[in-house]
Amino acid sequence: MPEAIEIQLKKGVLGFCVLALLSHRDSYAYEIASRLSHAVDMGEGTIYPLMRRMQADGLVATYLEESPSGPPRKYYRLTDAGRSALAQQLAEWRAFTASVEGLISETESATGASAAAAEDNHDA
Amino acid sequence: MTRDEFLKKLHAGLAGVRQDAIDDIMSDYDAHFDAAAEEGRSEAEVAAALGDPARLARELRLEAGVRRWEEVRTPSSAVSAIVAVLGLGAIDILVLAPILLPVLGVVFGLYVATVGVFVAGGAVLIAGPFSGFPGGVAAAVLAGLGMMSAATACCALLTIVTIWLINGLVWFGRLHMRLIKPAIEQA
Repeated sequence: MPEAIEIQLKKGVLGFCVLALLSHRDSYAYEIASRLSHAVDMGEGTIYPLMRRMQADGLVATYLEESPSGPPRKYYRLTDAGRSALAQQLAEWRAFTASVEGLISETESATGASAAAAEDNHDA
Repeated sequence: MTRDEFLKKLHAGLAGVRQDAIDDIMSDYDAHFDAAAEEGRSEAEVAAALGDPARLARELRLEAGVRRWEEVRTPSSAVSAIVAVLGLGAIDILVLAPILLPVLGVVFGLYVATVGVFVAGGAVLIAGPFSGFPGGVAAAVLAGLGMMSAATACCALLTIVTIWLINGLVWFGRLHMRLIKPAIEQA
């Protein structure tokens, strides 16, 4: 079930993406949702359950700010707990992708070498 | 689907959630339509991108139920967490039900039994000394106290097991929340 793995993978990384986005600047849910839905192909409506959970976990906090048009907007900002969660997840992500990359390039060069060896045998 | 239809369905699906949480959620989605309208997107387009409001409501309700369970460990918050997980209606959870329900039944039976032993211990403690308990007054008092403390210990152990069971159920339910909409649509 490759779809199931993909769902779990993206779900795991979604909160991490939100933390990363908010570390650059404060943002409102619509903006977060549209940036994430382009980047990781997620449904827009699902940002709200996620933001509610992150707020309840104390990773983000909200404040109201006047918008140029229409009613004031609810902005999200990172809390100290959110910042340290981001630092930790960033380190985990870097270590994880580095080891996966290492594995891929290892197997690639290994298959490349064996293919070359097979060709040598063929020539001989 | 129009904006009004979407919001109405979402609101209907949230029945049972605390009123302040409902207000929060509804104003979030309301603001979403506002922001999208500023970008010139149509109501139908936005509603489609948001996903099925009934499904969203179920996931939001699970979060609310779980949150209550994590805040206060009471029998009623346990019930609302269980109901919220079952309300997700994922096939795997329905498959789990024949296993889960007997387990819950056994746990409940054990609770009743410990209460019974506790009451019986109390009866031995109070009535035993006057009704010729074999071994005399001291034995009756000790036996009564022993039964009561054993029942208390069993009850504490059962509580730990119950909390552990419900936490497992909540974990299982969260595993089945589909936060990524396109993946569901394709599946």
